[in-house]
Amino acid sequence: MGRSSSSPSSSIDSTSNLTPLSPSSPNSSSSSSSICLSSNFTSRTTRRSIRRDLSTDLRLGLSISSSPKHVLPNNNVVSIQRVDNQQRPDWPPIKPLLRSALSGRSAEERHGAASSLFVKVYMEGVPIGRKLDLLNHDGYANLAETLAHMFKAPILCPNGSRAHSDKHYVLTYEDREGDWMMVGDVPWEIFMSTVKRLKITRADRC
Amino acid sequence: MRALPELMDPKRARESPESAVLSRPSAFPDEVLERILSLLDTHKDRSSASLVSKAWYHAERWSRARVFIGNCYSVSAEILVRRFPNIRSVTLKGKPRFSDFNLVPQNWGADIHSWLLVFAEHYPSLEELRLKRMTVTDQSLEFLALKFPNFKSLSLLSCDGFSTDGLSAIATHCRNLTELDIQENGIDDISGNWLNCFPDNFTSLEVLNFASLNSEVNFDSLERLVTRCNLLRILKVNKTITLDQLQRLLVRAPWLTELGTGSFIQELTPRQYADLETSFKGCRNLQTLSGLSEATALYLPALYPACANLTFLNLSYAALQSEELARLLAYCAHLRRLWVLDTVEDKGLEAVGQNCPLLEELRVFPSDPFDEEIVHGVTELGFLAVSYGCRKLRYVLYFCRQMTNAAVATIVRNCPDFTHFRLCIMNPGQPDYLTREPMDEAFGAVVKNCPKLQRLAVSGLLTDLTFEYIGTFAKNLETLSVAFAGSSDLGMQCVLEGCPKLRKLEIRDCPFGNKALLSGLEKYESMRSLWMSACKITMNGCRLLARKMPRLNVEVMKDEESNDGQSYKVYVYRSVAGPRRDAPPFVLTL
Repeated sequence: MGRSSSSPSSSIDSTSNLTPLSPSSPNSSSSSSSICLSSNFTSRTTRRSIRRDLSTDLRLGLSISSSPKHVLPNNNVVSIQRVDNQQRPDWPPIKPLLRSALSGRSAEERHGAASSLFVKVYMEGVPIGRKLDLLNHDGYANLAETLAHMFKAPILCPNGSRAHSDKHYVLTYEDREGDWMMVGDVPWEIFMSTVKRLKITRADRC
Repeated sequence: MRALPELMDPKRARESPESAVLSRPSAFPDEVLERILSLLDTHKDRSSASLVSKAWYHAERWSRARVFIGNCYSVSAEILVRRFPNIRSVTLKGKPRFSDFNLVPQNWGADIHSWLLVFAEHYPSLEELRLKRMTVTDQSLEFLALKFPNFKSLSLLSCDGFSTDGLSAIATHCRNLTELDIQENGIDDISGNWLNCFPDNFTSLEVLNFASLNSEVNFDSLERLVTRCNLLRILKVNKTITLDQLQRLLVRAPWLTELGTGSFIQELTPRQYADLETSFKGCRNLQTLSGLSEATALYLPALYPACANLTFLNLSYAALQSEELARLLAYCAHLRRLWVLDTVEDKGLEAVGQNCPLLEELRVFPSDPFDEEIVHGVTELGFLAVSYGCRKLRYVLYFCRQMTNAAVATIVRNCPDFTHFRLCIMNPGQPDYLTREPMDEAFGAVVKNCPKLQRLAVSGLLTDLTFEYIGTFAKNLETLSVAFAGSSDLGMQCVLEGCPKLRKLEIRDCPFGNKALLSGLEKYESMRSLWMSACKITMNGCRLLARKMPRLNVEVMKDEESNDGQSYKVYVYRSVAGPRRDAPPFVLTL
C-alpha cells in the first residue's frame, strides 16, 4: 500500500515507519491475553489510539500543524480532514450514520472530541465510582494496572494465577445482556464490544 | 401539450379518412384510453404520454396512481392534487444531497407536514409515502397514522426531525401496514418500545427495517411479531439483537428474501453455533444480506449455506479482513452488488474479481476516513483487480488514498458499460501518485470509453481539461459532483454547454465564479437543480441570475465556515410553485 503522498512535513512521514498492526504497549512484559491475538483480532481502535499518542508527541515539539495543507491549482490552500485536530464534518463525503459508526462513538454522543469508550468502575464497598476510558488501554494487563493505581488496591491481572486470593480483588464486568462476568475470558476486542460497566470485587467472593 | 388538430376540431376531421377515424369519440372512449395508460408504470413513459394530446393528458392524469417528485420545492401540494386526483403513492425528495455532509444548516425546510394536510383532504386513500432528506416530525407521523386508514407503506431515508415516539404512532394505528423502512435518519432514538405497539391481531407486515436504530427492542415482542406476520419477506434488525436471538427469528421466517443481521457478535456455545448454521441452511431464498457490523472470522462460516442465491451483499458496516471476505465470497457466485469497507484491502478486492463474475455494482467505503497517516485501505490495484474479473461492472463508488491515470484508463477499457462512476480520492487535490500529474486523463478516459455514463463524481488534482473532456464526451451525463477541482470559469462552462442531459450539478470548493454561473442561464431550466458552495460566486452574480431567469428559484445562504465571510452557498432550481413560502431567515430567495 502506498503512503499518503501529500504530507509535506517529513516528521509526519516518520510515523509511517511504525507498523500499525503491532500491538505495542508500554508494558511489553505483560502476560495478558492480548498476546494470543493474531493480527486478525487487532482492533482498529487499538491502532487508532497508538496513532493518536504519536501525533500528540509530534505536536508538542513542533510548530507545524497536524493537518497537511494542499495547494490546489487555483492557489486555494485547503486544510483537509482535520481542522485543529477535530474531524471536518463535511469531508470526506460519507453519510452521517457511517461517519458516526466509524469514528467509534454512538450517534447520540456527538461531540468534537476524539473517540473514547468511558465505562463506570465501582469498588465493592465504595459508593462513589470512577470512570475509565477503555480505548486508552490495549489489553487486560494495561487495564488492571490502571485500576490498581486508581483504586490503590491489588487487582489480579485477569490471566494471572489465582493462588493468593485472600486480600486481592478481581475484576468483573456487566455485559450487554446484563450478566456479571469475570474479566479476561474472552479476547480483548469481544470484551470491549460487550462491556457496559466494571466492578472490583473481593477475590474470595468469586 | 399541443393537441392534435383533428381531435379538437370536428370540421377538420372530415378532411381526411385517417383523421376521421381518430375523431370519432365512440371508437376510443376515455375509459379505454385510461385503462391502457394505467398500464404504463415508469414516470418517464407517463410524462411522454401526457404530452401527446389533451385527451391523453387527461387520461394519464386520471389513471396515475404513483407520483415521484425529485425536488419537493419544484411543485406545490396544491398543484399536485389538482393535476392528479387518484394518487395512492407519493415519493418525495427534499434537501440538496450535500446536506448529507453537513453543508446545509438545520431547519432549512423540506417539511412534510404541509403536504400531509393537503393529502388528508385530497388523497384520503393514500397507501404509500417514501421520503428522502425530508424533515418529518412526530406530529406528522401521528397525523399520517390517524388520517389515512389505508396506509400501507412508509419509507424514511436520511430524514430528520422525528423520534421513536413517531414510530409508536405508526405501529399503533396503521392497521394495514405492510412496510416500515427506517434508514439512516437523524432520529431521536428514545427507546425500542415502538415495537411493542403493533397490536396482537396485526399480521400484515411484509417489510421491517430498523437496522439503523440503536435502542434495544423487546425480543419477545419481535419474535411474536415475526411469527404472526407470515408474509414477512424483508427483516433487518438492529445491533442489539444477539446471534441466538437472530437464530430464533430465522427459524420463524426462513423464507426471508432480505436479511439484516444486526451486529452478529456473541459468545456462542457449540450447540448454539450448530443451531445457527442449521437456521441459515434453511434460508434458501435470501437475496440480500446486510448488517454483520461486528462479525468476526469465528462466526461468519455459519452464513455460508445461505449465500447461494445472494445477489446483494452489504458489508459496509462490517470491518472484514481480506481473507474473511475471500472465504465468504467463495460461496457468493451470483453476487451482483457488493458494498464493503476498505479493511478488505486490495487483496480482498482481488477475491472479488476472482469469485464474482456477475458483479455489476461495487461500493468501497473508507474505514478510517479521518486519519491521513493510514497506510492501509484500498489503492488502484484493488480497483484494477475487480475490473479484470468483473467485466459487467456498471456502478462503482470507490474511496481511496491513491490513484493513477493509467489504472483508470485500464479499468474503463475492461468495463466500458459504466453508468455510475464515483471516485473519491480522499486527499483533495491529490495528483497521480506515480507521475505527479493531474488526474485529468483518468476522467477523460472514463467519459471517452463509457458512452452510457449517467452519473460521475470526480476527485484528485483536476484542471479545466477534465471538464473539457466531460463537456465533449459525456453526452448521457445526468448527475455530476465536483469538489476541490478546476482552474477557472471555463471548466464549469464546458460542462454547462456540453452535456445536453445534465439534470443535477453539485459543486463545492472550486474556483468557479459569476461568469461560470451566468453561462448556464437557459440550461438551469432544463435541470432539476444546481448547488454551489465555497466557490467564487458573489451576491451580485446571484442577483443577476435571479433577475434574468424569473422562473428559477435562486436561494442563497451565507457560508458560515468561510474565512473571509464573502462566500455563499447557492441553490438554484426550477419550480412551477414560485419562491418557497417556508424559507427560514438564513435562506435568502432572490
